[in-house]
Amino acid sequence: MVKVKLEQKRGRLVLHLGTLKLECTIEPRRWRNPLLAVAVLLLLPPLFFHRPDILTLLTTANMYACVAIPVAWQMVGIGRMNFGPQIFIGVGGFTAALLSIHWGLGPLQSIPFVILIGLIAGFILSPLTIVARGLYFSIITLVLPLVFMQLTYVYSKIFGGEYGLSGVQQLVSLGSMKLNFLVTFYLSLLLMLVFMFAVNSILKSRMGLFAAAINDDEDVANALGLNVNWWKVICYTITSMMVALTGWFMAYNVGGFSGETYLPLSFMLKILLIVMIGGRGEIYGTLIGAYFVSFLETGLRSAFGDISHFLFPLVLLILLLTLREGLYGLYSKHKYRDYYPTVRVRKR
Amino acid sequence: MLLNVQNITKRFGGLIAVANLSFSVERSEILGLIGPNGAGKTTFMNVLSGTFPADSGKIEFDGHDITNKAPHEICRLGISRTYQIPRPFPDLTALANVAVGVLCGKRRPHMGFGDALLDASHCLEFVGLFGKRNILARDLTLYELRVLELARSIATTPKLILIDEVMAGLNPAESRRAIKLIRRMLEEYHVTLIWIEHVMKIIMEATDRIVVLHHGEKLVSGSPREVSNDPKVIESYLGKKYA
Repeated sequence: MVKVKLEQKRGRLVLHLGTLKLECTIEPRRWRNPLLAVAVLLLLPPLFFHRPDILTLLTTANMYACVAIPVAWQMVGIGRMNFGPQIFIGVGGFTAALLSIHWGLGPLQSIPFVILIGLIAGFILSPLTIVARGLYFSIITLVLPLVFMQLTYVYSKIFGGEYGLSGVQQLVSLGSMKLNFLVTFYLSLLLMLVFMFAVNSILKSRMGLFAAAINDDEDVANALGLNVNWWKVICYTITSMMVALTGWFMAYNVGGFSGETYLPLSFMLKILLIVMIGGRGEIYGTLIGAYFVSFLETGLRSAFGDISHFLFPLVLLILLLTLREGLYGLYSKHKYRDYYPTVRVRKR
Repeated sequence: MLLNVQNITKRFGGLIAVANLSFSVERSEILGLIGPNGAGKTTFMNVLSGTFPADSGKIEFDGHDITNKAPHEICRLGISRTYQIPRPFPDLTALANVAVGVLCGKRRPHMGFGDALLDASHCLEFVGLFGKRNILARDLTLYELRVLELARSIATTPKLILIDEVMAGLNPAESRRAIKLIRRMLEEYHVTLIWIEHVMKIIMEATDRIVVLHHGEKLVSGSPREVSNDPKVIESYLGKKYA
C-alpha cells in the first residue's frame, strides 16, 4: 500500500506519495484564506434560501466581480485606464439575447458564439491600445459605450431601443422560484471563481510579469525584447471576451437585455470604483470590492431611501481617498508591499 | 565586424541631432563615445536601440540590417542598453526586473518561469544584488539601480551592450566598484561595449578606442591617447583658446 502524507513545514506544502515527494512553496498562513472565503461563499447562501432578495444581491455582487476581474487585469496589462469596459457587456448581452430570441439558442448553446463575438470585437478595438495613449485612450473608451447605446436606439428594430430585448430563455428553470435564485447564485459564483482562478494564474505566470512591466514602463519593456504591442492586443482581446461572457450571463439571468442598464456611465463608474476600492491591480481585492459596493448600495437604499443616490457615491469617494491601497490593502499591508507574489530563490 | 554604422542622420524638426555618423565596432571591443552635452550621444544610442527611427543611413549588426527595426527585435538580435537616468520597473522586485530581461531578451520557448527566475538570480548574484532580490526597485539606491540595469542587460544575453553614463551620480568608491563589475562582465560574458561617459579618467583607461561627437557629427576617432591630444577635441571641450 502506498503511504500518503501531507505536511506543511517552513513555508512549504510537502506531499509524500510513497517514495515520491512533491513540494510547493506557499505564503505561510495565507494559502488557507482564499479557500476559507470560497467555503463561506459556498456554505452561506443556503441559509438565505427563503430570502431571494439577498440571493439576488449576492448574484449581482458576483456579476460585478466578473466584470471587475478582467478590468483589473486589463488596467495592468495595457498600461492604460479603460473607461468603457461595459461596451463588451453590451456585445455579449445583445449577442446572447438575439441568439435566444431569433434562433432559440439556450445558454450553453450560445456560449461559443458569445466567446467568438467577444474575441472578434475585442480584437477589432485592440489597436486603440497601441495608437492612443493616456488621456486620449481614456476619452475614446469613455465614448465608445455611449456610441453603442445610441446605435441601439437608431436600430431599435434589432436592439429594442430604450426598452431593450425581452423574451430571452431563462438561465435556470427548476420549477421552484427560490431554488432558481439559489442555483443562479451558484452559477454566478462558478463563473466568478473560474475568472478569478484564470486571471490569478495568468498574473502569477510570465504573462503577469509582462503585464506588470508594460504597466510600469512600456518603452523599457520594449527595449528588453518584449513585443509590447502584441501583448497589449492579447490582453485587451481576452479581457474583452471575459466581459462579454458576463453580459451573456446577465442576459440569460434576467431574461432580457437593455443597453440602458449596462452601457451608461453610472455602471462604468461603479465597476471602476469596485476595482479601485477593492485594491487596484489586486484580483482578490475586486471580489471584496464587488461585495462591499453591492451591500453598501443596497444597505444605504434601505436605510436612507432617495438620499442614498447622494450618499452612495460620497461614501465611495471618501473610501477612494482614504484607502490608498484599497480594502485588500487593509488585509495585506503588514506584508512588505509588492504587487506580485514574492518568489523565494535559495542560494545553494 | 560586429556593428557597422553608415551615415546615420536623425533630425528633430529643424534640429539635426545626429549628422552623417559613421563608424564600426569590432567584436569584444570597448568603444567609448564622448562629446560635450548636446553632442548627440544619447540620441544615437536611442537610434541604435530602435527607440527613435533614423531619418537616413544604415546600421548593420552581426550581419543583419537593423535600421528602423522595432526595439524588441533589436534586443532579440543581441543589443541591450542601460539608461542615463535609471529606468527600472519600480513596482517590481529586483528579481522580477531581471526576469523580464531573461524571458524577453532571447527566444527561449522551453524556459519555464521558475528557470527564468533562477537565471535572473544568477545575474543578480553576479552584480552583487542577490541579497536585495526581493526589494522593490523603487527602494534601491542609485548605485544599486545602475547595477540592476547592468544585470537586466546581461539577462538578455546580448552581444553588444550600450552603457549610458553609468558613473553619473556615483561617489568614487561606487565608481571603482562599477568599473570592476564592468571588467568582470567583459571577461565572463564576452560582450562588446559602447560606453558613453563624461568621466574622462575612466573612459581613457577603460576603452580601446574612442569616438568623439560634436554637434551630432563625428569629430575624431582613435585611441584614447590620440583623442586626448587632438586639438579639435580640446577645442570642442575647452574652447579655441586651449586648442
